[in-house]
Amino acid sequence: MPAVTCPFCGIFCGDLAFENGRVDTSSCAKAETGFARPVTVTEHSVGGRKVPLAEAVDAAAAILRAARQPLFTGLGTDLLGLQALLGLADSTGGVLDRWQSSPQLANLGVQQRVGCWIGTFAEVSNRADQILIVGRDPAPFFPRLFERLVHNPTPLYRKNAPQVTYLGPSELRPADRAHGGTDLAADITVPANQLYEALLVLAAEAEGRKLPESVGTSLPLAQLMGLAQRFKDGAYGSIIWDVGAFPPVQAELMVETILRIVRGINLTTRCSSLPLGATDNAMGVMQAALWQAGWPMRIGFGEGFPRHDAYLYNAERMLSGGDADALVWVAALSAAPPPATSVPTIAVVAPDTILATPAAVEFRVGIPGVDHAGTVVRADGVIAVPLGKTRDSGLPSTATIVNLINERLGGEP
Amino acid sequence: MTTRLTGGRVFDPANGIKGEIRDIYVSDGRIVQAPSEGRADTTYDLGGHVVMGGGIDLHSHLSGGKVNLARLLMAEDHCDHVHHRHEHLRSGSGHCTPSIFTTGYAYAEMGYTAAFEPAMVPGNARTNHLEMADLPVIDKGAYLMLGNDEYLLQALARGEEQERINDYIAWIMQATLALGIKTVNPGGISAFKFNTRHLGIDEPGPYHGVTPRRVIYALARAVYELGVPHPLHTHCNNLGVPGNIETTIKTIEAAEGYPIHLTHAQFHSYGTEGKRHFSSAAAQLADVVNKTPNVTIDVGQVMFGRTVTASGDTMAQYRNHGFASPDKWMLFDIECDGGCGLVPFHYKEKAFVNALQWAIGLELFLLVEDPWRVFLTTDHPNGAPFGTYPTLIRLLMDRDFRNECLQGLHPAARKATILGQLTREYTLEEIAIMTRAAPAKILGLADRGQLGIGAAADITVYKEHGDRQQMFAKPAYVFKDGTEVARNGTLHASPKSTTHIVRPAYDAAIEKRVKTFFDDHLTIGFNHFPLSQGELADAGVLVHAHDCRPRRRT
Repeated sequence: MPAVTCPFCGIFCGDLAFENGRVDTSSCAKAETGFARPVTVTEHSVGGRKVPLAEAVDAAAAILRAARQPLFTGLGTDLLGLQALLGLADSTGGVLDRWQSSPQLANLGVQQRVGCWIGTFAEVSNRADQILIVGRDPAPFFPRLFERLVHNPTPLYRKNAPQVTYLGPSELRPADRAHGGTDLAADITVPANQLYEALLVLAAEAEGRKLPESVGTSLPLAQLMGLAQRFKDGAYGSIIWDVGAFPPVQAELMVETILRIVRGINLTTRCSSLPLGATDNAMGVMQAALWQAGWPMRIGFGEGFPRHDAYLYNAERMLSGGDADALVWVAALSAAPPPATSVPTIAVVAPDTILATPAAVEFRVGIPGVDHAGTVVRADGVIAVPLGKTRDSGLPSTATIVNLINERLGGEP
Repeated sequence: MTTRLTGGRVFDPANGIKGEIRDIYVSDGRIVQAPSEGRADTTYDLGGHVVMGGGIDLHSHLSGGKVNLARLLMAEDHCDHVHHRHEHLRSGSGHCTPSIFTTGYAYAEMGYTAAFEPAMVPGNARTNHLEMADLPVIDKGAYLMLGNDEYLLQALARGEEQERINDYIAWIMQATLALGIKTVNPGGISAFKFNTRHLGIDEPGPYHGVTPRRVIYALARAVYELGVPHPLHTHCNNLGVPGNIETTIKTIEAAEGYPIHLTHAQFHSYGTEGKRHFSSAAAQLADVVNKTPNVTIDVGQVMFGRTVTASGDTMAQYRNHGFASPDKWMLFDIECDGGCGLVPFHYKEKAFVNALQWAIGLELFLLVEDPWRVFLTTDHPNGAPFGTYPTLIRLLMDRDFRNECLQGLHPAARKATILGQLTREYTLEEIAIMTRAAPAKILGLADRGQLGIGAAADITVYKEHGDRQQMFAKPAYVFKDGTEVARNGTLHASPKSTTHIVRPAYDAAIEKRVKTFFDDHLTIGFNHFPLSQGELADAGVLVHAHDCRPRRRT
């Protein structure tokens, strides 16, 4: 039976049976909603007026030709679409950033400054005997994470089910306690504003250093030390986090401290980590931007070459600060509408996206993995998976539209 | 449309042409017979020029997840080196780990028309090919990293027949569009995941009980029997470890006479002599190579300066992370298949070890007698970025220059090398062999690296210059598939280029066994793992599949 890949979170589960036009969503709420998304609008439009594709392409090209610094953001689409968008940003001297990429930048910033130690999905599911999940229950965001990465009924290397520990605020209510076959250690409850301190305790333990006396009288020290010891005693540990759960001002410090823990554990046994990243092919943006421009995101091409600046080229700041004079909003995977702005907007959006006010130009494109095939990069950042096509909407892909605009501007596809 | 290149001194070792003045005719991207009366639409008068095939780099980490992570890590490099957009040429950044368009442009501007990514981990094949689809001008391809992949190690552990191993390797090469097979620290990357920090060539791995020797033999034999043109591309165990020469020579033995290519041999030619317990074993390896016709090497020359080491060898990279400069490094454990490690390095001529590494590389070049069996590489970017090739060529061709450089070295390193006594200077013909004819031959690229009738018209024209570095840095003309793409070291056209692959045959029964393995253990579906023709077509990938003729040793 053919199986398709679900494009609606960063796990990109590829085991969904597809038969007679129906996707078996394995009871995943995100997949259920995603594959049921309607085709509401298929026509392209200019100023709210439905137009043939060529006319919309002309209008988009005119906006970009007039713009001095267009902003390319959203960026929720497949790799081919992203490759094309990077080309358009390059040729128009634009700025390119994922929308709300600050949490992901916390992970990337640490990778750039200090490094990382990452184990991909199959390493976690076959090897990890100790798993620590930091910050929040990932289940609402990555619904099948536990089923796919933790509850592996046929692991290659570990003999017993992994011992899973949650470290996070008291409101943590792991949805996956219902799953069998997992040895769930007691949660270690630490309020969000003390999570960084708790990680420092683990780092000191992992590195074999004494704790400063000032540390953590209000922290559950015995539990934290027990956790560090379990990792030291284990064969292969994995620390998983969703950086979106971390307080923004501490996010980089926390990610860096997790790396210290991992490196410390590796002094005597094995351990790696898994930042879950964001959805909407966030890791695909990072990969394509790195290979085409040499930078992961927040790239300005205005000087004729790629320049990275994590502050200057923040998409939200670009818009609110009046630094963009055109907006190219790309959201093919989700139904996110473009942010409200006074600058002319070219919206490249899914067929069910609802815009509060019509954009200057609207292209309706297919949802990758639903309306057309494509490629996306998993949350572990290394593995790309192919998406299938589950319905015949006839909608074009992001890449098709972007290449048409690029050609209209005289660039090569 | 016919183009005539006239009056140049032609070096075409594959066809026995050694610097004779000849005319070359090009039509429809191919080298053709002289038309009647020698008529041509365009003529290049190449008096005072040297004509060779386009350069071929058989080992350059130019794409894929590991290189992308190196780009991320090398933020400083990408600030310092920027490349402007120019008409239809894309912008880019980076010198040690240039972005992909820049990589293609820079190679072509240096007269190279093909380069091969040597370390594609199976799970990363899809992104690697999408990235290589963006690599312009130069031809490309990738070697698949095996030898730490769980399926193979299990198969070896249960003593599966060679035939079944061959089936698996053929299947996975087809699935990932590989051109060759590379093994990196065979067994060692897997062992490192079980907390083994060192694995000798005859040491059983911690989980499967399989020795690296067994892995090397199985892979070398499989590659041979499947008829894959390129011999097993081997990164030996114990990279960088003083005394590793013993492992390197045992690796040659492990192939038991099957063809084997030792890559970045410089990093594997170390002894333990001297008070610093680090010495050159280049003469020892060269001696074995000279006597063992089934062996080829590329050098992996170290050139001084900043770079980043990007390797699948997590065990070695972890061992060396203390040398990171700047002090930051990354490691990845990947999909029960492999891994990668990124460690920035600063090679300094005043540092004893680095200085001796430089000398060891040059000793290898000069002591291996047959230029058909030693290839010019820096293991880009690990020993140095590929942009240093013209300087390296001058070091090989110009003994005075070499000795001058030698004077700048750490004094103890100067004493520890025999380099100063080596009088050999490479000739233009030998350079043409080691950078064109020989790599094409060993990769099975029958119509590249040569200028015979019918060959692809990948041609580089250099203006004669006594300073070989200047001569090789900026070729007067570069032709890719018959089209002039660069002049005086500046690119002006950026055609799409071809991905070279092989498609060895296998018994379809293997698919069922591999499917069970995927279903039970891996996180990507068996049906989703292979790259499909549709994906490639969508990505605009042009593929040239080379023949594999199954063979058996008699």
